[in-house]
Amino acid sequence: MAHPLLAGAPGETHLFLGNEAIVRGAIEAGIQFISCYPGTPSSEVPDTFFRLSPEASYTFEYSVNEKVALEVAGGATLAGALSLVTMKHVGVNVAADPLLTLTYVGSPGGFVLLSADDPGCHSSQNEQDNRIYARIAGLPCLEPATAQEAKDMTRSALSLSRQLGAPFLLRTTTRVNHLRGPVTLAEPTALPAPAGFQKNPSRFVPIPAFARPMHLRLLETLEKARALAEASPFNTVSGKGSVGVIASGISRAYLADALDESGLTGSVKVLDLGFTNPLPEALIASFMQGLSTLLILEELEPVLETEIRALAQKQGLTLTILGKTPGPLPRFGEYSVAMVAGALRQILGLPEPEALACSCGVDPEVPLPNRPPNLCAGCPHRATYLAVRKIFGDSAVYSSDIGCYTLGILPPLKAADFLLCMGSSISAGCGAAKAAGQTVVGFIGDSTFFHSGITGLVNAVFNRHNILVVILDNRTTAMTGHQPNPGVDKTNLGDNPVRVDIEPLVRGIGINNIRKVNPLNLKATMKAIEELKDLPGVRVLIAEEPCPLFARRAYGQKRTQVAYVAEGCGQEAIDGGTCGDCLNTLACPAFYVDGGKMAIDPLLCSGCMLCLQVCKNIKARKGDAK
Amino acid sequence: MSTRLRIFMTGVGGQGTLTATTLLARAALAAGLSVTSGEIHGMAQRGGVVESTLLIGCKSPKIGHGEADILLGFEPLETLRALPYLKPGGLVLSSTESLPPLSVATGKETCPSVEDIRAKVTARCGNACFLPCRTLGVQAGAVQSGNIALLGALCALNILPFGKDVVAQTIRATMKPKVAEINLKALDLGAACPA
Repeated sequence: MAHPLLAGAPGETHLFLGNEAIVRGAIEAGIQFISCYPGTPSSEVPDTFFRLSPEASYTFEYSVNEKVALEVAGGATLAGALSLVTMKHVGVNVAADPLLTLTYVGSPGGFVLLSADDPGCHSSQNEQDNRIYARIAGLPCLEPATAQEAKDMTRSALSLSRQLGAPFLLRTTTRVNHLRGPVTLAEPTALPAPAGFQKNPSRFVPIPAFARPMHLRLLETLEKARALAEASPFNTVSGKGSVGVIASGISRAYLADALDESGLTGSVKVLDLGFTNPLPEALIASFMQGLSTLLILEELEPVLETEIRALAQKQGLTLTILGKTPGPLPRFGEYSVAMVAGALRQILGLPEPEALACSCGVDPEVPLPNRPPNLCAGCPHRATYLAVRKIFGDSAVYSSDIGCYTLGILPPLKAADFLLCMGSSISAGCGAAKAAGQTVVGFIGDSTFFHSGITGLVNAVFNRHNILVVILDNRTTAMTGHQPNPGVDKTNLGDNPVRVDIEPLVRGIGINNIRKVNPLNLKATMKAIEELKDLPGVRVLIAEEPCPLFARRAYGQKRTQVAYVAEGCGQEAIDGGTCGDCLNTLACPAFYVDGGKMAIDPLLCSGCMLCLQVCKNIKARKGDAK
Repeated sequence: MSTRLRIFMTGVGGQGTLTATTLLARAALAAGLSVTSGEIHGMAQRGGVVESTLLIGCKSPKIGHGEADILLGFEPLETLRALPYLKPGGLVLSSTESLPPLSVATGKETCPSVEDIRAKVTARCGNACFLPCRTLGVQAGAVQSGNIALLGALCALNILPFGKDVVAQTIRATMKPKVAEINLKALDLGAACPA
């Protein structure tokens, strides 16, 4: 049965994830080309395109990083294809260089960048506000708040981009990407095949002489986009009164619920802003007429607030504008219905409701044990970390990177001392080592190595740095959902016929001190590290073993044996430190202590057999196929 | 809209919390209700906490502290951790069978007992239903169907604006026949639980 995302008929209503709705919106717009680098909360968009690709007519690729993805899609739009590129917010930093010139060059086929921001840092290293990229790059910007809008705005952004020949930004936040809601479908557009690139150097080559008029043309295009925003169906006014609210993004959902719950719907004037950049100045100026107070709702930076303050000043309006600077709302984290309701009450002088805020049943003095995400049972990263730790202990500085292996930060592995961004383990590790002569071990996964580790490694060779780089090659991009990367043998759709092999690549840039091991062989891994430990210069250990979750699905790997504790260590031995090495060094989720004795859960054990190499009391037995 | 209902769901990665959430959301949509649901699961596949929401008659996909009408806990420690989301007088349905965090399983930390959790939950809401979800799941044919048993118990309390039949239809419509059969059995086993 064809998937409703592809085959759903106009008028049908389906429950879609926000990210699936974006896929449907692109399909309705007639999408021809999609590239991406995965990253939460954006990943379900490319993964859905990938899954549907055998039945669909578009071209799709997982690119090696966001800069490459944006350039590939940029070339496709120059050749006339309606193109979409997707990434998480920090990925846009990687892609910023081509982005800020693509807006000069333009996008004849149509081009939308999906930036999935993460207020609250649910799964990111920062909570940067990418609406600012819309301003610095000159991108018209749409911001959905529901699944239906995610579909409609994607479609609209792609169509308008094609119409103007200018790149657009579709900016979402985690809550929007990961909400589910009803989406009513519309008829997909049939576009002609891409016309191919039309030569015109003064238009497409931004040498200084051409870049100057290109900038002027961008400014003119943005005025055309402003006219579209002024008339956009995504910008709507409702209610009446002398108190107004302008809301954007998911804050619009919080506002609607807060007004509804307080019985205020209709008695406050509301401007729902979905098409947020360029600012529809005439619409907002007219909205502000007659208001005494205006509240701006937007998560993170006071972007609209600052622009609207400037507009009010230009218009000579003296209304009070509140938001963050000053205002009752924070410049960090997510908003909520309660937070918006509180701000409304404060402005309207309404009393606090009766103790909605709970005096919860949980005693705050007794914190509950946490449940942090952990490396899975059988994860090869645990084995590599164990070997490195056995040799270096705390004497080395561990430069970490972005992937599942960042979870190695937790004790007892404690294998992440600092981290900046994708690929930084090698380059930042080199700097740290050179500054004060410390021993540095950098950990980087296979996908992250292809993403931006290679440049750092070349730099390390060229500048004669001293670093031991451990490439944790688990044959997939595990953290974001097992997407393929250039090094994999298998994808979720089958074999990868064009594999880029890491070892010859590393050798090819002039590194001779290389060892390749299966990290589940502890002795061999430790031996390799010992050999590399005291050598000068750049050394590389490739620890290759598939992610067990992926191996089960993609390779059909069956578990043939499981570990069990033949002679359980007693609690006294564990507490007294005379035994319990397995518990104290491995932290495998399959371990537990039962009645004071160490035990292994046969359902959770993946059969990696690492623990057998740590303790002679742990043995293997035949396991049920899992 | 007058029929607003907020359900907060919590569990451990791999338990099927999101499957249960999506199923219930599809059932609500099939019943013609205005439904939104949300999920937060950054690194949940790696054994972390999975929280999800289902809201009827709301635009927001998020539930704040003190706002949930119903709390569904697929694991008792997570039920207790999520209790602040429940509004006073709200309803709690929870599994009694725990999946201890690694620190507890390996004896580094202690976790409140199920009796403790039950007492704390009952003190807060007075309206709680506990059932052995894993056992019911195994009884139905697959441990993962335990979460559907919890949905069955919820249906039996007649608090949702749609009945168990709509959930059953949704199971039939969205799952493969073999899996559907197990989940329908789990739904019935759960529905028989509330006294």
